Amino acid sequence: MRDRHLAFILYSGLVMAFTGAAYGEEPPITIGVPTSVQLQVGRDSIDATALAIEEINAKGGVLGRKLRMVVADETENPQEGVAAINKLTADEHVDVLIGGYTSGVTLAQEPHIADSKTVYIEVGAASPSITDFVRRNYARYKYIFRVSPINAAHQAEALIDFGVGKLKGEAGVQKIAIIGENAKWVQDLAPILKTGLEKGGMTVTSVDLFDADTSDFSPLFNKIKASGAQYIMVVLSHANSDVLVKQWYDAKLPIPIGGIDVKSQDSDFFTRIGGKAVSETVANNIIPVPMTPVTMPFWNNFVAHFKRPPVYTGAGSYDAVYIYAEAVARAGDTAADKVIPALEKTHYVGTEGLCEFDAQHDIKFGPGYVSLAFAQWYPDGTRVIVWPKDIAKGAMMPPPWLAGKN
Amino acid sequence: MRSRPWIFVPLVLAALAALPVIVKSEYLLGILSVCFIYGIWAASWDFMSGLTGRENFGHALFIGAGAYTSAFLNARFALNPWWGLPAGAAMAVLLALVIGFPTLRLRGPYFALAMLAAATIMQRLTLIFWQYSGGEEGIPGLDPLLNSKIGIYYLCLAALVLTTAALLLLARSHGGLLLRGIRGDEAACQAAGIDVTFYKIAALVVSAACAGMGGVLYAHYQEAVTPDVFSVALSISIIIMVYVGGIGTIYGPAVGAILLALLPELLRGLGQYRLWAYSVVLIFILFFAPGGLVAPLWRRAVGLAR
Amino acid sequence: MLNILVYGAVTSAVYAMLAVGFTLIFGVARVLNLAHGAFYGLGAYSCYLLTGRLGWPLLPAALVAVLFVAAFGVAMERFLVRPLRHSALAVLMITIAVGLLFEQAMYLLFGSEARNVPAFSNATWSYAGLDVSGQRLLTLGFGIVIIGLLWLFINRTRLGSAILALSQDREGALYMGIPADRIYAVVMAISAAIAAAAGVLTAPFLTVQPTMDLLPMIKAFSIVIVGGLGSIPGSILAALLLGYSETIVAYAVSPAWTEIVSLVAVLLTLILRPAGLLGKRAAF
Repeated sequence: MRDRHLAFILYSGLVMAFTGAAYGEEPPITIGVPTSVQLQVGRDSIDATALAIEEINAKGGVLGRKLRMVVADETENPQEGVAAINKLTADEHVDVLIGGYTSGVTLAQEPHIADSKTVYIEVGAASPSITDFVRRNYARYKYIFRVSPINAAHQAEALIDFGVGKLKGEAGVQKIAIIGENAKWVQDLAPILKTGLEKGGMTVTSVDLFDADTSDFSPLFNKIKASGAQYIMVVLSHANSDVLVKQWYDAKLPIPIGGIDVKSQDSDFFTRIGGKAVSETVANNIIPVPMTPVTMPFWNNFVAHFKRPPVYTGAGSYDAVYIYAEAVARAGDTAADKVIPALEKTHYVGTEGLCEFDAQHDIKFGPGYVSLAFAQWYPDGTRVIVWPKDIAKGAMMPPPWLAGKN
Repeated sequence: MRSRPWIFVPLVLAALAALPVIVKSEYLLGILSVCFIYGIWAASWDFMSGLTGRENFGHALFIGAGAYTSAFLNARFALNPWWGLPAGAAMAVLLALVIGFPTLRLRGPYFALAMLAAATIMQRLTLIFWQYSGGEEGIPGLDPLLNSKIGIYYLCLAALVLTTAALLLLARSHGGLLLRGIRGDEAACQAAGIDVTFYKIAALVVSAACAGMGGVLYAHYQEAVTPDVFSVALSISIIIMVYVGGIGTIYGPAVGAILLALLPELLRGLGQYRLWAYSVVLIFILFFAPGGLVAPLWRRAVGLAR
Repeated sequence: MLNILVYGAVTSAVYAMLAVGFTLIFGVARVLNLAHGAFYGLGAYSCYLLTGRLGWPLLPAALVAVLFVAAFGVAMERFLVRPLRHSALAVLMITIAVGLLFEQAMYLLFGSEARNVPAFSNATWSYAGLDVSGQRLLTLGFGIVIIGLLWLFINRTRLGSAILALSQDREGALYMGIPADRIYAVVMAISAAIAAAAGVLTAPFLTVQPTMDLLPMIKAFSIVIVGGLGSIPGSILAALLLGYSETIVAYAVSPAWTEIVSLVAVLLTLILRPAGLLGKRAAF
């Protein structure tokens, strides 16, 4: 509570300081942040953007101009999202937009972003449809880029690698059950995941998608238990994954669990649900280990400023500000038609890996680029990377109630 | 000089019509366009529910039906978005007939829940049949009805003024009086040989057609449609708008909707306290003006001028 | 089969706890309280505040949370509902606004993240293919006890008789000198307390977050209407029907279809039996 007040005062102070400092000099470059201000993902976007701005301004800004930030609340509702974009572009005349969280909101915003001819860098939504706009109609939608997260199709590749490499290759798992929230990005991801796992020689016993507000998972667990699956792969972002994990723990389900669980990427997820996440293995974008030379300085700086660890939108926003600033410096101008070609040539080592954009302006994924680290919740509430092999720091453990049973 | 405040009506309309010439902000025009659409929804809610005294907690059913019908035709069959207006209204009317016949004999909370359930069922169906409806991401990338923001502003303004005027005329006609009669004493109306069912269904159909048309305008203003258009939250916010405007007066809800839809935008400066402040303001209005704000004030203004 | 039997019973007990308070306050005070979901959420959040932030032990925290919500209910009745009692619609509106305010206040105070309330029991019971957490069984037990106590209270005490009288014949009860305002306050306190207890009990296996009030609210509304507004036995019957039909659909078909099946059931009941299953205007 208190830290958020501080942060609020801090960044309103920052904005004022910058506008003040910029008075009489070159006009500042304005970054618009459309995001869901009430959610953790949104607050981290705002704070990380402020942090990157502070650092860049301390080094003299870009092209001799300071950076400043304007925030607009887009909630999780497309109508508010469109209003936020219009507010930032038509009213505040921002130079660039960095934000986003809900895929449905971003998709609704895209035509309005294109109309405003403002560069937009997505940091929160995973739907492949978002950059599909760029592929289908480059001339109109070339303004859209995505730095974070890696899109759902690429996330599926990471899950397949984890399933076939770690689960089958090292733990000997043959039968796997997939459960996910009933959302478009999962609907896109699940078939790719299923095919990939089967190609890798595993048996997918079931694929179940449930409503984001499902409150009772016992029927699902019952079915999975009966199917003989040895591992449950989850694909969750908006759903109440706290409910799922708590009920999995309470039922002492004899099947380990892991996969994509965005809420379980939070550093305090473990304590928030009373330690019931123990042994869940989660794909993380950002985790406090030196994945690149930038990771730890960013992480420590963020924690020092805001008294809490960042989530993936924080890392994404931080990288996005730098990527944009470098592109502007290369282009020598903030005009969108100059910045876009410069952005397309991005080659930037960010907090999560090397950032480059593919032909449809989506962040590149894979070895050498940004990838996902699978970290497991250990019983003491720390996270230990267990996959990919080259960055793994520890062994994968079974849930406590299965320990020593094999 | 008997009813001098009526002069303000053309004055306000003229001011709204002149606004795009004076204010060059596309942001403001966009916000007001949405406010006008809310005005249409609130006025159409009031025509059925305000007059007959049946609170409809599922008005979003008709809005969503219009929005999705038009989005579907536009995105899947590349039909010109203008065809969406009649098609969306027709779909809303169809749903009004299907849901109206079995439920309109219900009253009070029973009717409210029936409509709420119907709208929520539609919302769930859009999620379950995601292959066709786009799931919770909805259908993005729709064509706008007009290419200029100013054009859309005038379109929404005209739609609101025409709908409100038409509904006001209908409400003051013989049929409108009968609807108010049904609100007062349905049995007596029936005993007097009035075909009560016909009038109730007719009111629901008119209400649904306007809401569906508003839904089409909304979908093409947003250039996207998502399952939120079927949500309980939307239905409830329309009821609150009607209530603040003054229930049963048609023009009151239209104005109330514009004011309340504008409020969260005006509060943007409050950052994360915005929606909290909005609900506090709402409690104050509901508590201190239980009969509504717009229509009673207007009546007082008209009354004083006499 | 055993799974359906037990899990269905737990769900039904939670629904019943939510519904009896909702129907009681309608039956007695004619208040359609759409802030009822907020009572449920406030119970869970108060308990989180006391245990998670202030470090209280669970039992006193749970009791204080329930009492606090009861007091909140009484305050809402006294200061927001009573002045507007002349208009049923005004009351409905103000309760909607209180619900909105609850959500926004929770966002501001505790953020959007799901919060945790410790469980009374962390045991897991396994029997013939059934695994059920101790907390769920406890919820079921508490639900039965609370509703049983309510029944005794209404049928065996003077205050209870006054409540019953007021719900059966308002005018008559007023002529008999029953202090209506005081009774309304008592009923609101009971209604809020039961909802809060449901929140505290289910929080360890359900979720605690700002939007947690809407779904229970709609459930309570549906159950109460299906059972017949104002009828407590009707509500219990409807809670069992809805709880079991949802559980059966979830097991036999898919969890994705539970909501829609329960909504269609509500709609059909309204069309076929417009006054509800046991529609009569009395509390018991």
